[in-house]
Amino acid sequence: MNGKTGKGSAYGWLFQRITGLFLAFFLILHTQVLHFAKEWRIDFNVVTQRLDSTGWVIFYAIFVPALLFHAFNGVWQVVHDYRPSLGTARAVKTLFWVLGLAISAWGYYLIATFSKGA
Amino acid sequence: MYQAKTSFFGTYRDELSLNPDVGTWSWLLHRVTGLILVLYTFMHFFALSSSLGGASTFNAWLANLQTTLTHLLEIGLVAVVAFHLLNGLRITVVDFFLLTKSHKTLFWIAMIIFVVFMVITLIVFLPRAFSPHH
Repeated sequence: MNGKTGKGSAYGWLFQRITGLFLAFFLILHTQVLHFAKEWRIDFNVVTQRLDSTGWVIFYAIFVPALLFHAFNGVWQVVHDYRPSLGTARAVKTLFWVLGLAISAWGYYLIATFSKGA
Repeated sequence: MYQAKTSFFGTYRDELSLNPDVGTWSWLLHRVTGLILVLYTFMHFFALSSSLGGASTFNAWLANLQTTLTHLLEIGLVAVVAFHLLNGLRITVVDFFLLTKSHKTLFWIAMIIFVVFMVITLIVFLPRAFSPHH
């Protein structure tokens, strides 16, 4: 019952799994550090101190685009359940790429804001 | 021949009635939890954007979010993330190691880990929700 989406679909499948594995690791670490660790109160200083380290900046710089790819590719799978026409599929894909890249850029801007605040 | 569905919930309802099994339920739950997480991500980015107003604006935002309700919603969020993460790992393991025959067993293993993890989460998060100075 797969539509005719060609090889883009197989890459979508593969990258959904690869980003998913990354996100599983990132999200466990992110949640552990921010919510399960003893010092759980978060404020501006807590975030800026963490983002003062290059390691954490790189961590979030990978986390953000991986998350947005996984999110929009996932929503695309849901759209695909409804077997969109080729034109609709192309329009939705374009919209999702634009939104995904724009929100990733916004995420980078926020990382930079916290990183500068230290 | 499989017929294309046009109604919004029809696709899912038909899939469930054709094959009412853990595979279909987990597929549906993966879709639902995924969509919730997408919406959460947008809210999360929106809340973090308050940092552009400086430390005091950001801290005021966070302070406003420290309520019993939001802490309880946080536990729900952890549950949604945990389900999506564990079921996603199961899907990936099934796909990469060709374990389709064991997918149901793997689902129940994932659910056992889910329950254990949620018990730990409740122990850690519940006292915060009802702490006097949240």
